[in-house]
Amino acid sequence: MKRIGTHRARSALAVLGVVAIGLLATGAGGSLAAEKKAGGTLTIGLAEDPDALDPTLARTFVGRMVFLHMCEKLYDLNAKLEIVPQLAAAMPALSGDKKRMTIKLRRGVRFNDGTPFNAQAVKISLDRHRTLSGSARASEISPVTSVNVVNNYTVRLNLNARYSPLTAQLADRAGMIMSPKQLDALGSKFASNPVCVGPFKFTSRTAGDRIVLDKSQFYYARNKVKLNRIIFRIITDTSARAANLRSHDIQVEDRIASTDLPAIQRDKTLRVLKATSIGYQGLSINIGNKNGIGKPFENVGTPLAAKRSLRQAFELSLDRKVINRVVFGGTNLPGCLPIPPASPYFDKRIKCPGRNLPKARSMIRASGVSTPVHVRLMIGTDQVQARLGQVIQSMARDAGFQVDLQPTEFVTALRRQDQGNYDAFAIGWSGRVDPDGNIYQFVHSKGSLNNLGWSSPRMDLLLDNARKAATPQARRTLYDAAYRVLRTELPLIYLWYPVNRHGVMKSVKGVRLYGDGLIRAYFAEYK
Amino acid sequence: MGVFILRKLGAALIVVFLASVVVFVGVRAIPGDPALALAAEDRDPEVLAAIREKYGLDDPLPVQYVRWAGLALQGDLGTDNRGIPVSETIVTRIPLTLELAGLALLIGTVLGISAGVIAAVRRGKASDYAATSVALLGLSVPHFWLGLMMIIVFAVNLGWLPAGGYVSFREDPVGNLEHMVMPAIVLGAGLSAVLMRQMRSAMLDSLGADYVRTARAKGLSEWSVVGKHALRNSLITIVTVIGLQLGALISGAVITEQIFGIAGFGRLTVDSIAQRDYPLIQGVVLVVAVGYVVVNLFVDLTYSVINPRIRVSGGASK
Amino acid sequence: MSYVEASPLGARARRRRIMRRRFLRRPAAVISLVIVVGAVLAAIFARWVAPYSPDQTDFDAILAGPSREHLLGTDELGRDTLSRIIWGARASIQAGFLATVLAMAVAVPIGLIGGYYRGWLDTVIARVTDVLLAFPFLILAVGLAAILGPSLLNATLALGIAAIPPLIRIARGETLALREEDYVRAAVANGANDAVIIGRHILPNMTSTLLVQATLTIPAAIIGEAVLSFLGLGVQPPTPSWGVMLNAAQPYLNEAPSLAIYPGLAIVIVALAFNLLGDGLRDVLDPKTER
Repeated sequence: MKRIGTHRARSALAVLGVVAIGLLATGAGGSLAAEKKAGGTLTIGLAEDPDALDPTLARTFVGRMVFLHMCEKLYDLNAKLEIVPQLAAAMPALSGDKKRMTIKLRRGVRFNDGTPFNAQAVKISLDRHRTLSGSARASEISPVTSVNVVNNYTVRLNLNARYSPLTAQLADRAGMIMSPKQLDALGSKFASNPVCVGPFKFTSRTAGDRIVLDKSQFYYARNKVKLNRIIFRIITDTSARAANLRSHDIQVEDRIASTDLPAIQRDKTLRVLKATSIGYQGLSINIGNKNGIGKPFENVGTPLAAKRSLRQAFELSLDRKVINRVVFGGTNLPGCLPIPPASPYFDKRIKCPGRNLPKARSMIRASGVSTPVHVRLMIGTDQVQARLGQVIQSMARDAGFQVDLQPTEFVTALRRQDQGNYDAFAIGWSGRVDPDGNIYQFVHSKGSLNNLGWSSPRMDLLLDNARKAATPQARRTLYDAAYRVLRTELPLIYLWYPVNRHGVMKSVKGVRLYGDGLIRAYFAEYK
Repeated sequence: MGVFILRKLGAALIVVFLASVVVFVGVRAIPGDPALALAAEDRDPEVLAAIREKYGLDDPLPVQYVRWAGLALQGDLGTDNRGIPVSETIVTRIPLTLELAGLALLIGTVLGISAGVIAAVRRGKASDYAATSVALLGLSVPHFWLGLMMIIVFAVNLGWLPAGGYVSFREDPVGNLEHMVMPAIVLGAGLSAVLMRQMRSAMLDSLGADYVRTARAKGLSEWSVVGKHALRNSLITIVTVIGLQLGALISGAVITEQIFGIAGFGRLTVDSIAQRDYPLIQGVVLVVAVGYVVVNLFVDLTYSVINPRIRVSGGASK
Repeated sequence: MSYVEASPLGARARRRRIMRRRFLRRPAAVISLVIVVGAVLAAIFARWVAPYSPDQTDFDAILAGPSREHLLGTDELGRDTLSRIIWGARASIQAGFLATVLAMAVAVPIGLIGGYYRGWLDTVIARVTDVLLAFPFLILAVGLAAILGPSLLNATLALGIAAIPPLIRIARGETLALREEDYVRAAVANGANDAVIIGRHILPNMTSTLLVQATLTIPAAIIGEAVLSFLGLGVQPPTPSWGVMLNAAQPYLNEAPSLAIYPGLAIVIVALAFNLLGDGLRDVLDPKTER
């Protein structure tokens, strides 16, 4: 009996012990948890976890949001999405043949580890972007063949061909400059403790949980920075993220889902920042990717790939406005071109077709393909994608298409897209300021992301000339023609432009949102 | 006793080794180029080849396994696709799940045991039926639905508790408990239901036993009868049940963390697989398997301490 | 544990009558049987029972409340909730039954062999069971979904595999106890071979315990399928299943909570019915019970 008595005490102690250890340990794990608002900490709820925080390797949209606060670039965008100098002192000077770009650098700048920012540092970073094995930036600045240090505050980039999008690329990750001292110390492990020029410096990161940045004492415009600390918390579930904003556990919410929007709009303590994205979302049709990306095109033989009229019929069976209403509560902007209305390169004359079932049905009949016409549509695995897929399925069925949905996890979906193992894929592009960035790599025969397996000599000509064209008007004319080709051939059925909405507590001012959709809170402060 | 422990440990080690092989092979069986997981928007074939070489993804499997296992034994589980050390992620996120599981265990055992005792002592009366019905409900309600319902009622409609998230205990003890109340109840509900039924039937068995009748005949108080004798002997059952339910607790923690947005270890297991982050998956699932084996070992040893008959017979029967 | 002799038909029929009477005396068991049968029939005959087809959308009537046309209202795409719940019963009950059958088919022979022969075979089985137990069912399911792709079949497989270890233990425990029974020892002494002993004496006497266990495993599998579909690892949209419906309902907890309430209630009712049925069967089949 005695043994059992001590056993009961022991098991009770064991349970208490577990709880006690758990509670104490949570203290250890949570020392980086959000402080209360006093003292200037801003907590931003991100929709996804960024990938590696290394400008040369980074590929995610959310990563760019974090970089905005800790890693400045040669150029940046302003509210009108014009390119303005950031680490550069002025806009770049181009040589007569447009193959040499000279950039003057801002003076008196230091990296967040105190080391000086100069032309040599810029050269090291740009060379790393160009040549590091696995670099995601290489194709973005591929025409750059070498970088010269002219003097301490001037660099020259040498190109092997004219390339108008270059400045725009330097206004993104390809223009981010990293501390040479830190690159030396960490090399390929730079992401574990990145150091750049920025209003905030990297303090710590817990995978899938949070990224902590603290105010930098080396930033050249220190007086504009009011907050002490910014914490990016990763909250992937949309309703959880909205709930956290409403309970003020976070002060800024990245991308409010349409289902959470009404409650946030009713909340008097919150306001919504809204901006139409510079990217697009739609359906990517596999036309000629039979052998894998980068290999010669060969028509895959599916109904949509074989006949252009069936692609057109498919588009006519869809009602963009209803999709927007039912899937997104009317919060996005229906569209049918790869660049949004706000862009100076948009063509107002092109009207998007509405739903036309009789025409769609007659086109299918005329094509000679027997109904139902099979289409396998690859979609993502979240609830919004499920709604989208089911709405498209239902609409297309009325015209005579049978759409089979294939919910696929993102990385696998990308692989299948590259292999050509898909019929249609619901995917978009986050968008680039220059129209070339939204079109070239997807539909040019040499496009690095052309996994549709489609190109046409006319399209190639239009896009190549647009890259070399001297004036914006000339480019506009060329892109207008390109849009008409896209509207006829429909290798991609563009469906909508995302309208990004971020939630901010009214007690925080200075949080900005431009058309690129990125939250800018570096100069924010509490009222 | 020493031999017994050694034998148990040996068995546990074999299981851990087998589990590690299963994990390793299983992860490799997931279709998808691991190099692609390291490349989100850009898929240049040359870039992928470079990544593959850098991480030795083309080496033969046994070589990769030995390399990984060797490092794992030293505590180095590698770096995940974001460049963050896997062990660091695991160590930071485990305490949240431990707290959740600990609180759930506490709630589950307290509720389950007391309900079971009451039902057994007041057998056939209203409180017995009530307790039994509630326990039955606890077994029939999917606890993630319970979580969703609780969020609707307590967070959205009444606003008494936060809808999710986590604040560390050290930062804000009250806030921490506020955030943990609903998840812990949701997670502990299933355990309490199972425990309650087992406790009730074990108590009924003991209460009918001879020595209890003797104690009653001797005139001992009801409390003494129930508390000291019947209760003690039922605890063997409790330990067994808890041991068997630990797997369900881990599974449950995954969903609970998902619904309540707690960045704990349970969530990490599912997220890492969803993101095809191979180093992370391997490290995480290995830790799960090892942890489970260790806890089971602990339960086995505790069990054998109470019940010496097990030790003598060599522990083959459970 | 019940024990049945290989005896003339009369005794068996008499036992059955006794059990049936006992069963009918328990209202909870009877009601749960009715619910279970009803759910199974509704699932099988969904096409005739459900008022609408499960993927019939109506974009002008999304998130509508209950009405004469839609008794439980409509969901986020304007589909009739009641119909989807009836059709959803298919996936859930299918998963429940198949997973249990699979688990039984694997666990019972293994448990029998281990319990009967003991020795090194038993030890190996114990270790394998331990390895299986080291992976909680969710991890197994997530892994399977990642390797083979998510689908109802893979979810069922994962659930079945996860249900095996406890069933092995029970089958083994029963075997261990039964082999000590007198009539078994007598058969051994008479020189009967192993197959006969297992087949005629041990297995038949386990059936009632196994039946009860099966009835209790099914609801766990049904809930498990809901969990997996909720996480996107089981049934894929647009096929309805209660778990899928709960997943789609999650973003609408604020604006339209009823989307989450109905499928959840369906799971609770059906699972409860199975559990009550299992309990009732256990009481009825146990000779120690008075009534």
